[in-house]
Amino acid sequence: MRVKVDKTLAASVALHVLVIGWGLVSFSSKAFESIPEESLPVDIISADQLAHVTAGMKTGKKENPKPLVEKVAEATPPPEDTVGKIDEKKPPVVTDVAPKEQPKPDDKAAAEAAAAAKAEAAAKAAEAKAKADAKAQAEAAAKAEAAKAQAEAVAEAKAQAEAKAKAEAKAKAKAEAKAKADAKAKAEAKAEAKAKAEAKAEADAKAQAEAKRAERVFDQSKIAALLDKRDPSRHAVTGDTLNANAALGLAHGKAADNSATWGSMFKSQVERCWKKPYGGLEAQMTEAIFSIKLKRDGTLEATPTAISNPTTPYFRVYQESALRAIIQCQPYKLPAAYFDEWKFFEPVFTERKL
Amino acid sequence: MPFRLNRRHMISGMASAAVLLGSRQAVGQARVQITEGNVAPLPIAIPNFVGGTPSDNEVGAGVAKVITNNLKRSGLFAPIDQAAYIEKITNIDVPPQFDNWKTINAQALVTGRMTRQGDGRLKAEFRLWDVATGQQLAGQQYFTSPEYWRRIAHIISDQIYERLTGEKGYFDSRVVFVDESGSSQRRVKRLALMDQDGANVRYLTRGADLVITPRFSPSTQEVTYMEFGQGDPRVYLFNIETGQREIVGNFPGMSFAPRFAPDGQRIIMSLQQGGNSNLFVMDLRSKSTTRLTDTPAIDTSPSYSPDGARICFESDRGGKPQIYVMGATGGGAQRISFGEGSYSTPVWSPRGDYIAFTKQGGGQFSIGIIKPDGSGERILTSGFHNEGPTFAPNGRVLMFFRDPGGNSGPSLHTIDVSGRNELKVPTPGFASDPAWSPLLS
Repeated sequence: MRVKVDKTLAASVALHVLVIGWGLVSFSSKAFESIPEESLPVDIISADQLAHVTAGMKTGKKENPKPLVEKVAEATPPPEDTVGKIDEKKPPVVTDVAPKEQPKPDDKAAAEAAAAAKAEAAAKAAEAKAKADAKAQAEAAAKAEAAKAQAEAVAEAKAQAEAKAKAEAKAKAKAEAKAKADAKAKAEAKAEAKAKAEAKAEADAKAQAEAKRAERVFDQSKIAALLDKRDPSRHAVTGDTLNANAALGLAHGKAADNSATWGSMFKSQVERCWKKPYGGLEAQMTEAIFSIKLKRDGTLEATPTAISNPTTPYFRVYQESALRAIIQCQPYKLPAAYFDEWKFFEPVFTERKL
Repeated sequence: MPFRLNRRHMISGMASAAVLLGSRQAVGQARVQITEGNVAPLPIAIPNFVGGTPSDNEVGAGVAKVITNNLKRSGLFAPIDQAAYIEKITNIDVPPQFDNWKTINAQALVTGRMTRQGDGRLKAEFRLWDVATGQQLAGQQYFTSPEYWRRIAHIISDQIYERLTGEKGYFDSRVVFVDESGSSQRRVKRLALMDQDGANVRYLTRGADLVITPRFSPSTQEVTYMEFGQGDPRVYLFNIETGQREIVGNFPGMSFAPRFAPDGQRIIMSLQQGGNSNLFVMDLRSKSTTRLTDTPAIDTSPSYSPDGARICFESDRGGKPQIYVMGATGGGAQRISFGEGSYSTPVWSPRGDYIAFTKQGGGQFSIGIIKPDGSGERILTSGFHNEGPTFAPNGRVLMFFRDPGGNSGPSLHTIDVSGRNELKVPTPGFASDPAWSPLLS
């Protein structure tokens, strides 16, 4: 018989081999990574059953009234609120809860109001002056401590002013306290407004009340002061009970395999029937594999078929002893839930200890 | 016819190859591994063989009894008592009702028939059934003269043993031993021969002279033994089939009979010269001897490996008697036993996997086995006096003699290499120095 090979075919084969061979050598690639897919057990149910499942019950038990969280909270004290903290040295801030009495609409009241307005203006001017003064003083004090030592009388006020100027120079919310302190400092240090002492005292009280009222007024330029400057205290949903079934599983899980469960049950049952032949050295290498089909009641559907092929008389005897054991030990008591897994499987009888 | 290979052929060929490769990757079924079976005796039912004529029933029962006894003694089978049988086998040509045998937990069933032929011969048939699958595992028929029915029973036993264990049988074999009778002061020692199960004892010598250490040839039905006559000990070669006896030679310095090489053509022995003894090989045809060792120590009890390439022997060159292995032509010897006490009478198994020995130590004599490389030493039995192990032809069973001491005498015992199944061999009187024959057939 002669074999005739088409020339074009020969050329084609040669070229293919050349190209593929070149590709094998020159292209390098990463090995394929197969990511195991996670499988979920799926039951097919009818619409009726679904309706039944989702119907709900009025008498149903309320489950999980407490929300489950991701993290158990630590027993930490709340962060210190430096802004809202009350200094013990300072007089307590009296908040004006009750609405202020409305002045009666009469002349006196009007005059009073005018006087008050005047006093207010004066107070404001004084305040401004005092502020400038305090600032200058603070600066002077910072520059020359000797001056501070000399002014023993103003030491208290100065110290207060200093502290304020240093720590809360920008905190305008405390304007009233400052004003008060400033006024006092001014009165003591300069003793300028002797004639206006009474009016000033009155104006002082008024200014205090006014300042308080003014505080409540929304000032757009002071929005920053309204912001909460505390550190954030929440990072995760914390609480005292963890959510037990928060995750659906790992991303690289495997399909459900319960062969360890029913396999060991089968193993323990078949081993009781298995009388294996005594073998010498060759016994260590034997392995008999069968393919068996079981019915739901655990009996054999058909005679098991041997997959392995005995090569020695001892191996044949070994395999026959295993077959006898499988047949003799039926019916097998295996979990009905995994019937789909054990209805068809391969028992391996071996002396190789893995 | 010219065969044109064109592109279409090529493509279709490659496609089918791809399909074949793909189909190899079948869907993997769950595999369950079973490793812990029990090495337990196999339950077997051996009902009486059916008699072809009513007068053959007796021999049928006898054959079944011999087979039952053989298989039981092997330790690998558990014959079921006939009283438990539900079904009575009347015709071996129809398959038995296996459910009846499953009920009594039999895993194998032997049925058979003995029929006396017109020419006076006996026809023996048997079938071996696997009860679980209902399949016939073996079936055979034999013709023999009626007086050899026992031998037929042994042959059938070997068939069953071989088919169910995967190893050669050993039942169709004989044992030569020294029969001892009389008081311990005036012992009469005669050479005797029997079947391996203790039946059919025949005496080979008259007992006028002292005989010791018979040895069977591993390939022929010949025995060597030593006889102390009026003078020097003589080594005889005795053919059991023909009854012929031949003097191998006078060996003044000999204390053990020689052993055969596996081919049966040479014998190996130790000869004492002065204070030491050395090993020699003698060709039985030419009677020429070759020296194998030349040491100042006592080298004795040599035994060949089954392939004839190596020799194991006992030597005290290390101080105490221990077992050594060396090439069959001499040369450097390797010590393989390192235990406490002294080791003697090494015998190489016909399978080649073990060397059996007698070990003396701690006031006891033990029978043990060791692998030829010196590993896996195992003591099978120990007691006041156990000595002289000899292997069955398949290397699975050992026979030895045991002397309980006192006024009684020695008796023969068998033990399998696992050490689990020890049995006394029935003998007419006291017996010692057994030597197992090779298979007769």
